[in-house]
Amino acid sequence: MNSEYAIEIKGLTKDFRTGLRGVKLRAVEDLTLNIPRNTIYGLLGPNGSGKSTTLKILLGLIPATTGTCLIFGNPAGTAKARSHVGFLPEAPYFYRHLSGRELVRFYARVAGVSRNQLDKQVEEALALVNMTEAAARRVGTYSKGMLQRIGLAQAIVHDPQLVILDEPTAGVDPLGAAAIGEILLAMKKRGKTVILCSHLLGQVEELCDRVAILNKGKLILEGAVEEALARREQQVLTVEKLSDETRLAVTSALESNGAKLVEIAHPRISLEKLFVERLAISSSEKKDEVSNDR
Amino acid sequence: MTDSSLLRVRWIAGNTFVEALRQRFFAFLFLLAAGLAASGMLLRTFNFGQSELKFIADFGFGAMFLFGSILAIVMTVQLFFSELDNRTALTLLAKPVRRWEFVLGKFLGIWTLLGVFIALLGVVLAVMLSIRMPELVESASRNGEPLPFLNLKGLGMFCLLQWFRLGVVAALSLMICSFAQTFLYAVIVSAMGILLCQVQSAGVSAFSKPDQETWVRTLANGVGKVIPDLQLFDLGVPLVLSPAGAPQSAVLSALGYGALYMPVLLFITVFLFSDREI
Repeated sequence: MNSEYAIEIKGLTKDFRTGLRGVKLRAVEDLTLNIPRNTIYGLLGPNGSGKSTTLKILLGLIPATTGTCLIFGNPAGTAKARSHVGFLPEAPYFYRHLSGRELVRFYARVAGVSRNQLDKQVEEALALVNMTEAAARRVGTYSKGMLQRIGLAQAIVHDPQLVILDEPTAGVDPLGAAAIGEILLAMKKRGKTVILCSHLLGQVEELCDRVAILNKGKLILEGAVEEALARREQQVLTVEKLSDETRLAVTSALESNGAKLVEIAHPRISLEKLFVERLAISSSEKKDEVSNDR
Repeated sequence: MTDSSLLRVRWIAGNTFVEALRQRFFAFLFLLAAGLAASGMLLRTFNFGQSELKFIADFGFGAMFLFGSILAIVMTVQLFFSELDNRTALTLLAKPVRRWEFVLGKFLGIWTLLGVFIALLGVVLAVMLSIRMPELVESASRNGEPLPFLNLKGLGMFCLLQWFRLGVVAALSLMICSFAQTFLYAVIVSAMGILLCQVQSAGVSAFSKPDQETWVRTLANGVGKVIPDLQLFDLGVPLVLSPAGAPQSAVLSALGYGALYMPVLLFITVFLFSDREI
């Protein structure tokens, strides 16, 4: 656990053999990536870009063709490396015969949570993902969103240093997605490292410190989100009470100083933010109505 | 945090056992097997000249092996292969669980279930035989015939032998699941494997006669050593119905045979499964 990076990937290549003739399909090609500790790291790319394959190699679920991967300095794929990791796969499928609580207890036990910590950690994980009320129900009766949340609970129940989440908000409504986002931020505050694979770029932009973009198995961009998105040659001024006269004056002042006004527009918030805000207002109004009726 | 392989194997075995027990298939198959064993009582008038006790016992022994084998194959494929197919193994193997722990946990869970199945069926058979025993003793003494003999301890030993036999069946199925690509393939190849194990002693003795060519005899003997012989466990009649009992050496060698084959098959399973892409 004394490595500078949570994950170090060096020259990783993965070939799959397909069909009877064993035609080679290269899923990941010469990938080198270092993921710093205590960051939320976005791993992005279109379908088939090699994200899930890379994650599976890190977890020892499939072997690499060439290259090395380390998790906190331990060779990836070893039980020692996995003891620091929590993983939520894409579209998770869990034991349908267990209740949510039994499921999280089972994963906590195999992850090595001691008997005297078991109840506490299970209940904390269930509460964190807001599944305490539904924890007695069988997993087979859960909706897609509930499956994602119970999946997140099993990933964090043993308090891992690194949490790998593959599409954690798929099938989750915007409120649930926002709640998951808050959980990830809270984990970062507690010193954890989070790797997030998602197609919801808005969420990635909001949560992640750094991103890597893969395409056809190759790394095409890696860096801090702020650095990657900033347009250094342009700046944005946000102004209140801008009259037509003031605007003309500002435009001419800019032009006289060699600058050019490119666009005047109203600032926007994201649709997701609007949705969450409106629902919060609506819920508080309903609460007020109920208390007034009483 | 505790890092114990034995504990992880225990949790996986426990979860596998509970999963199997909560499936309707186990209850359905047990009722079917108990029904078949009980039908020996109803059909005892058609005993083809055999002693009635042997006729009833044969129904029970047959039900144990037939339905036990079906349970061993289907449950092993269901609980091991389906875990890979449904991708529940993804989350489990992403935890600090080694592949051998996963294989051993699965096997022990299934073997425990088979133990429960055999024990319940043994109780059903013991009850049926005990119900008939007083009437048969009375009838035999009235007619001056030799008294029938029933050894319930021997039945317990027979159940233990069947548990070991089904353990070999489950271990063989597990090995096939470790490389199978479809559910149906795993079930069919496992069933064929069990059939082969069941007839291997007849085949080996036919091909190792002195009149066969040397290479045929060598091959037959070699095959006989590789493929488990499940007929070694067929000691029901001497153990349960014969006053002389079964030779102790036969019982011990059958138990030892099972105890040797299970770890060997599990070792091969772990070897094949260790590089499987999940």
